[in-house]
Amino acid sequence: MAEKTKLIDLSKCTGCRGCQLACKQWNQQPASQTAQLGTYQNPPDLQSSTWTLIRFQEVADKDNVKWLFRKDGCMHCTDAACVKVCPSGALYYTEYGTVGIHHERCIGCKECITACPFDIPRYDPITDKIYKCDLCLTRIEAALEPACVKACPTGALKFGDKTDMLKLAYKRAKELGGDASVYGDKYVDGTHVLYVLPEKVSVYEKLPLKPSVPLSIIVWKDLLKPLSLLAAGGVIAGSFLHYIIHGPKLPDEDQNQKGGE
Amino acid sequence: MRKGLIQATDAFERIVHWSLAISCLILCITGLGMMFHSLNFIGTLMGGLKSLKYVHNFTGVFFAVALYFTIRMWWKEAGVFSMPEDLEWMKVAGGYVWHVDKVPEVGKYNPGQKAFFLAVAGCGVIMVVTGLIMWFPLSFPAGLVRWMFVLHALGFVTIFAFFFVHLYLGTIGSPGSLPAMLSGWVTRAWLKKQHPKWLAEMEHEGKLVVYGEEKDLTGHGHHTA
Repeated sequence: MAEKTKLIDLSKCTGCRGCQLACKQWNQQPASQTAQLGTYQNPPDLQSSTWTLIRFQEVADKDNVKWLFRKDGCMHCTDAACVKVCPSGALYYTEYGTVGIHHERCIGCKECITACPFDIPRYDPITDKIYKCDLCLTRIEAALEPACVKACPTGALKFGDKTDMLKLAYKRAKELGGDASVYGDKYVDGTHVLYVLPEKVSVYEKLPLKPSVPLSIIVWKDLLKPLSLLAAGGVIAGSFLHYIIHGPKLPDEDQNQKGGE
Repeated sequence: MRKGLIQATDAFERIVHWSLAISCLILCITGLGMMFHSLNFIGTLMGGLKSLKYVHNFTGVFFAVALYFTIRMWWKEAGVFSMPEDLEWMKVAGGYVWHVDKVPEVGKYNPGQKAFFLAVAGCGVIMVVTGLIMWFPLSFPAGLVRWMFVLHALGFVTIFAFFFVHLYLGTIGSPGSLPAMLSGWVTRAWLKKQHPKWLAEMEHEGKLVVYGEEKDLTGHGHHTA
């Protein structure tokens, strides 16, 4: 199966939040009570029931104020830190290269929340499970585009084969010129969500400059995990060799007790 | 029980030891169940991996309490090296690895046992602290919690490997040792080989509890702490 990718062209986003609503509708997630916090961003952050969110940002130019919108959500990494740490296999790679989630397997350990370089998974204390975007896996399987893409009225969201989306992204970035760039394909072995960013990467809040699987996670899972078995195996082998080469440490006198109990 | 056996540990010591040992073992097994997908089935035995998580976390609390008593009880005897005799012992590896005509006599616990105690105590504390932070990861910065995973795994590497050394030397590697932690009564011959200095000291001070000898039945308490 060809790898699928969602392209987010921020130059075409008007911040209508149709995607945010469509996501809730398709995934049957409730809205939650919020308060006016002096920003149009609402809710204030991703939630266990809000898997995608338009981040609103006001950036002061010389004599202008620019309004930036960024659709945030799971980036569907090829080398996903969340999948690496998940102890139960609840987070997994789908045949489309995206990161799916088996909720029935999730044990609520929250390790993925800590590991994710994009700060995406959210924990629901009531179900004791984590939630995030699965790129509408059931829709992809039915040859439909994700709900957010379907709802987007401006064409800022596109969905298709990874190679096509990459071509489209680079073409669009070139068209825009200036500070415009493609974000996602160079990190974590390539994400399955691509951005065309009209501004410099550093301008966008909560968008990491160089996301990667954290070093600590690599040391933990790729080094210490196999080492634990290696060390224990070495000790068992060493003990056995000690027993047959050097022999046990025995008391000097003969004893009339039974066995070495 | 047999006449002439000597009491090496009291009941309190043995209860604390086995509380720590059994909880440690449960933690290792349940931890492995979460560490390797291929061992997820251990969770099935407990009614699912989520139950296993709770078994792991709450056993950890029990372990912390047992660890507290372990450290308080054995710190003086097993946590401090006494030089130079301990150094001399280490130079010949206690006669465990190659043949040594005369192994330097050390106190109740030899430097190998002290190293084991310190590793368990040190790593145990690390496991409890990192484990608690991992239990409530959202209350701490993600950058910190990530390294807690690393320390937790490092502690496991050490404890898991040391566990097998302990298992070997407590049983077939040094026959006669196991009763010290089961009934608490050991043979004089074993003590002479393993802890001659302690035996001599206890005899000198008249504190030795020998089975079948009427004197010193009051000495059932924790004699050296």
